[in-house]
Amino acid sequence: MNIIGPDYLVFGVDDLPGSIEYLTKFGLKPVGVDASGGLFEALDGTGVIIRAKSDPALPAPLKTANMLRQQVYGVQADSDLDAIEVELSKDRRVVRLADGSLETADDHGFSLKFQITRRRALSMPAEKINAPGAPAQRAPNEIGVWEEMPAAPRSLSHVVLFVPDIAKAADFYCQRLGFVVTDTLIGAGPFLRPKANDDHHTLFFIRTPDYMQGCEHLAFHMGGPTELMVAGTRLVKSGVQSFWGPGRHKFGSNWFWYFNSPLGCHFEYDADMDKHDDSWTPREAPMGPEASQIVLFEMREKWAPGGPPPGAKRE
Amino acid sequence: MSGTLVAQGYLCRAEEVAEGAARGFALTGRRHKVIVLRKGGRLYGWLDACPHYDGGTPMAWKSDAYLNGAGTHLACHSHGAHFDMTTGVCTLGPCLGQALTRVELHVTTAGEVFAAI
Ligand code: FES
Ligand SMILES: [Fe+2]
Repeated sequence: MNIIGPDYLVFGVDDLPGSIEYLTKFGLKPVGVDASGGLFEALDGTGVIIRAKSDPALPAPLKTANMLRQQVYGVQADSDLDAIEVELSKDRRVVRLADGSLETADDHGFSLKFQITRRRALSMPAEKINAPGAPAQRAPNEIGVWEEMPAAPRSLSHVVLFVPDIAKAADFYCQRLGFVVTDTLIGAGPFLRPKANDDHHTLFFIRTPDYMQGCEHLAFHMGGPTELMVAGTRLVKSGVQSFWGPGRHKFGSNWFWYFNSPLGCHFEYDADMDKHDDSWTPREAPMGPEASQIVLFEMREKWAPGGPPPGAKRE
Repeated sequence: MSGTLVAQGYLCRAEEVAEGAARGFALTGRRHKVIVLRKGGRLYGWLDACPHYDGGTPMAWKSDAYLNGAGTHLACHSHGAHFDMTTGVCTLGPCLGQALTRVELHVTTAGEVFAAI
């Protein structure tokens, strides 16, 4: 089963205008969005779909307050859809839609959809750095940062779910859908990657009481740590509330910066995540501030040393 | 530095918070903002610190965006917890049974709102 990762995450929101404003500020591009919502996409076409929570077109809500309605997974080929249909039909209802995609639910009742991936191949450079001892990545006269530099989300990276039963969640995705555990934060849960994706994780679980089941956060890949911090700084300047970061995680090595949102979960920019293959041996560490990050910073208003000489009167 | 203590507690003018609205005000040297809301004509003050995680985290999704979509509850825009606007009690979401920290407000005859913290 060549599952690539999430193409779209679908939300039923209680503040549609606020959510439209938020997703636009976050750097996603509205595609055919009208007063009833629609798709906000990253550069590769993956993204977030929002509708009013009362919209009958949405899959049923979770039993909790969470606004996540569906995870839409992209797969490589028709044969992958066939394999998923055969496997999951053994013990649950799997609906084949007119466009060939499949709709079903996981063992916690999260609505799932599988489709031939809609993501477009991206061809653009990663952030380039220069360092002594290594060939320069930027040519002479090629500058690293400028005020108007682009810093747009490139691709939907991962989703993190609050689930009451970690073993049940991990077993479903690993044993039924071929996901692999890359690492585990003991006390929180495992990081998973699907077979057709070498990112450290596209899915992570956090154990919580069942009244919290839902989406904790979702993340988009940026072109590098500089783009992440530039995009985050612009977001905060636009009034959006930072939640955690910027910093760099240990497991996955990805830079992170999390923000509050009107979609009832956090939105994250991430950058420079580790890649893995099947030769990787999963690590474990107890969840906590030390295991979670190698560095953590907090944004402050721009400031520069300077001003009048010591002893001079300030105006 | 005279007057600093008083200035620390100053939040806003009463008329800056409309009926049914909530706004957040920073206090110098304080980690958490104070949310001032007006409901039924009365002003209420709450610490902008969701009780879901230790230490409390900021609840708005952008400046002054503290309410749920329908404007009926204070909402934490981390994981969607709802809080009663007048009692601070969490009625939905991760911190069910917990409550926001109340901030006593003093409104002067000139209409200035101060936090008593
Ligand atoms: S931090 Fe407020 S609901 Fe989780
Ligand atoms: Fe993340």
